[in-house]
Amino acid sequence: MGLNRKTAVIGSAILAPIAGDGQSLEEVLYEVSQRALKDAGLSMDDIDGIVVGSNDQFDGRAISIMAASGSVGGVDRDILSTPSAGEHAFVMGVLRIASGQYETHLIVSWSPLEVSSLSEAQRLGADPYFHRRLPLDEASAYALQAAALGAAAPVAHQLAMPIVERSRESGAVAGHDPSALPEDESAGNARWPLRDGMIAKATSGAVALVIASEDYVREHAVDNPAWVRGMGWATEAAFLGDRDLSTAPALEEAARRAYEEAGIGDPGSAFDLVEITGVTPYQELIAYDALGLSRRDAWKEDVEKGRFTRTGQLPVNPSGGAVALNPVFCTGLMRIAEAARQIRGTAGKHQIENAKLALAHAASGMAMMYQTVLIFGNQQEGGRS
Amino acid sequence: MELLKRQEKWDITYTHALGEVASWFFVQIRDNAKIYGRRCAKTGRVLVPPRAFSDQTLEPTTEWVEVGPGGRIETFTMVYEPFQHLPEPPYAFGFVQLDGADTAIGGFFKGVDLSDPAKAAEKLAIGTRVKTVFADKRVGDLIDFWFELA
Amino acid sequence: MNAPRVGIIGIGQSAFKSRRDDASYPDLVREAVNIALAQSSLDLDAIEAIVYSLSPDAMVGIGNAERLGVDAVGGRNKRFLRINTGGSTGISSVAAAYYHVAAGACDVVMTAGADKVGECGDSQTVLNKIWDPIYERPLPQGTITMLAMSGIRYANKYGMSEEDMARVVVKNRKHASLNTNAHLRKETTVEEVMASRYISWPIKLMDCCPQSSGGGAMVLASERFIKENRLDAVWITGVGHCSETYYIGDRMGTGYTADHGDAYALGNSFKRAFKMAGITDPRKQVDVAELYAPFSNTEFHAIEAAGLAGHGEAVQGVKEGRFGIGGDIPVNPSGGTLCTNAIAVTAMIRVAEVALQVSGRAGGHQVKDAKLGIASGNGGDHQFFGTMVVEA
Repeated sequence: MGLNRKTAVIGSAILAPIAGDGQSLEEVLYEVSQRALKDAGLSMDDIDGIVVGSNDQFDGRAISIMAASGSVGGVDRDILSTPSAGEHAFVMGVLRIASGQYETHLIVSWSPLEVSSLSEAQRLGADPYFHRRLPLDEASAYALQAAALGAAAPVAHQLAMPIVERSRESGAVAGHDPSALPEDESAGNARWPLRDGMIAKATSGAVALVIASEDYVREHAVDNPAWVRGMGWATEAAFLGDRDLSTAPALEEAARRAYEEAGIGDPGSAFDLVEITGVTPYQELIAYDALGLSRRDAWKEDVEKGRFTRTGQLPVNPSGGAVALNPVFCTGLMRIAEAARQIRGTAGKHQIENAKLALAHAASGMAMMYQTVLIFGNQQEGGRS
Repeated sequence: MELLKRQEKWDITYTHALGEVASWFFVQIRDNAKIYGRRCAKTGRVLVPPRAFSDQTLEPTTEWVEVGPGGRIETFTMVYEPFQHLPEPPYAFGFVQLDGADTAIGGFFKGVDLSDPAKAAEKLAIGTRVKTVFADKRVGDLIDFWFELA
Repeated sequence: MNAPRVGIIGIGQSAFKSRRDDASYPDLVREAVNIALAQSSLDLDAIEAIVYSLSPDAMVGIGNAERLGVDAVGGRNKRFLRINTGGSTGISSVAAAYYHVAAGACDVVMTAGADKVGECGDSQTVLNKIWDPIYERPLPQGTITMLAMSGIRYANKYGMSEEDMARVVVKNRKHASLNTNAHLRKETTVEEVMASRYISWPIKLMDCCPQSSGGGAMVLASERFIKENRLDAVWITGVGHCSETYYIGDRMGTGYTADHGDAYALGNSFKRAFKMAGITDPRKQVDVAELYAPFSNTEFHAIEAAGLAGHGEAVQGVKEGRFGIGGDIPVNPSGGTLCTNAIAVTAMIRVAEVALQVSGRAGGHQVKDAKLGIASGNGGDHQFFGTMVVEA
């Protein structure tokens, strides 16, 4: 069922990677929040509530969201946090606005690189009962998923490098130079079947969005809002052994809800662009299938004939995606911000002209456990025209 | 039935960037044994320890202001219980509004006999004047200085 | 616009204990879920979305431990997210679940979680790491010392003796002795509390909450669903949140927003919830309160922030028995956080307990004729405050 009222993205800021040691985490959060407010033409006084998402083990803070109180602008204001995923902060913000109790929200997620080993921090996510002794970090989980996909659909191995190359080319248009990125050596090392370069090294980042209710947008005559036309989110089981890693049923479910809300019957032809959280090309392929953009039997033709290039029929990741730039914990929220910017016409160098309907896919946790789908449109209702 | 347990230890280190403002502040403490705050241009309040922005006004702070070395106790406590990886008890610490500052900075209180809590609490009462004392060897951390009764 | 009414139709909580070696972390979550589902006459298939309630990962020793809880709450392929606002997590999770329904996203949503604080080697060592690594962590700040410092400011401002603090313990332990789910259920005396050892002056051992293990779960539903299925419900009529600065040292000196001795943002959070619920005179309208207070002294400023007493007047009120069961407005009839603290769900239990009270099902610690209850949660370093109004 649809939400009780509509929400739109009216401002955003992306800082990724965070440059050098010139700023403390709180200073970064202050900057990204202030920039998003400026993009929206608002001040913090215009904001009713805040939702943030961060990871304690990545940050080295036992309740890492505490850093967001003063820096994001939360003093004497209302803050919630969703440490399960950065994109869940967006979902929560949309729900709070739809409830009618809030007109505006600031959504922030971040991912620093201050830990001695990101891989080790991720391994603490394995339960101490059965899996902690295994070297289960996010890259390993992506590799296990890639192996499962390769076994189910061997064509995936052929398509992996072409997808990486397309992502890098798009990333270059967007201004990302992968050789210049500060990186965490421990996360992103190649693991079979992932080869060097198929998984981006982790980088730091912070993302902020300003969202507002339909009433606020109307009353303040906000220019070019990116309307949330559909939203779905779902989770897989926690244990990798309980899942068929070559498929993504939770993403199918999240997409089903988002499409139903947005009235989309044929996702393959509905969008002007999509932003997918594919930390490696294998995850991107799984998402094509689960989102109904390109079924397994069509992958080869669609990838090789350039359907997903920035000038193709359905541009995928014009920003370059997570393969070009991977600020680990806020990668999902970054996809949401990128898709919303395309609709607002503020994507910058990698703007897709005349983008009217876009899909953002966010995935977090081991092997895309948490799946989230957002559909943005330049119109509050109706089709792509 | 036999119920098993497993011991797990987290051992990760973090290298936190202090940023320009805190870096300058700690360098002054380390090299010159001086404490500085940052002034919020909008309200004139001096934040000690210094922050790059005020979380009240969300405006950047603009000016360094030397504060202390005297100040008044704003709150304190005395700890009598040992906690893992925390100092051996008893110890006293709390917050002091240094002269010229509008906020309070944390630090240990030294030179007060803590063996009788009630008597020690009277000596450390809110409003008591203290002075900042710096360690001879300073590394650029908050524990490079402490407070003693003035 | 008018938000749809949201009701509470199921509540589950463990009998809290120091350790639960018979149950893994997800087992504890499932225990509470099963109780809540049985009470709401629903099975897991009826749950459309889940809000997972979990505070610091480090306290259970598992990174993103909510992932391990997905099967315990039947979350596969469902809408699922986790909330954390430190100690206020539980009430923030109920609020987040409330927004799912109020937004029109679903008719039935569950919030659930558990904690095994007893398995954490030293919670104060973990909790020291909640402070910023630059200025306040090296002190070494902790949650007990932080709230001892609040108590000292409160005492300096309004007057509060250690005996006054002990009277809160005596009251809440007496309440807990009537609540079969409470962790510390042994009654005590002012003398016994006064004789316990100092932890962080003026807080003594018996002024402190225990480290508890157990789970909590609540099922919320839309008015439409409740009516269509003829379910019993109590209603969430007010929800609020408000935050303070991260820095303890910014809550003193001159020109501050909040005084660390008070619970400033808790007061504003209650104002928001009261406005929504149409409460204009809490002293007359509130029948029962479950206010998050992990140390005896913090119950005073919580009572005042809730508007149940003027600033500095809660001490006298406790002395006169106004806030005990049988008094004007019983505060923490369950025994409260002081007698049970499984951090991830503690603030959820505050809501659950007032829901039980206003539905007349609180059992041995039932407050007579309670129709309107209020609940609160405090999290971070006395920083995040969630509040709720629940009515029959």
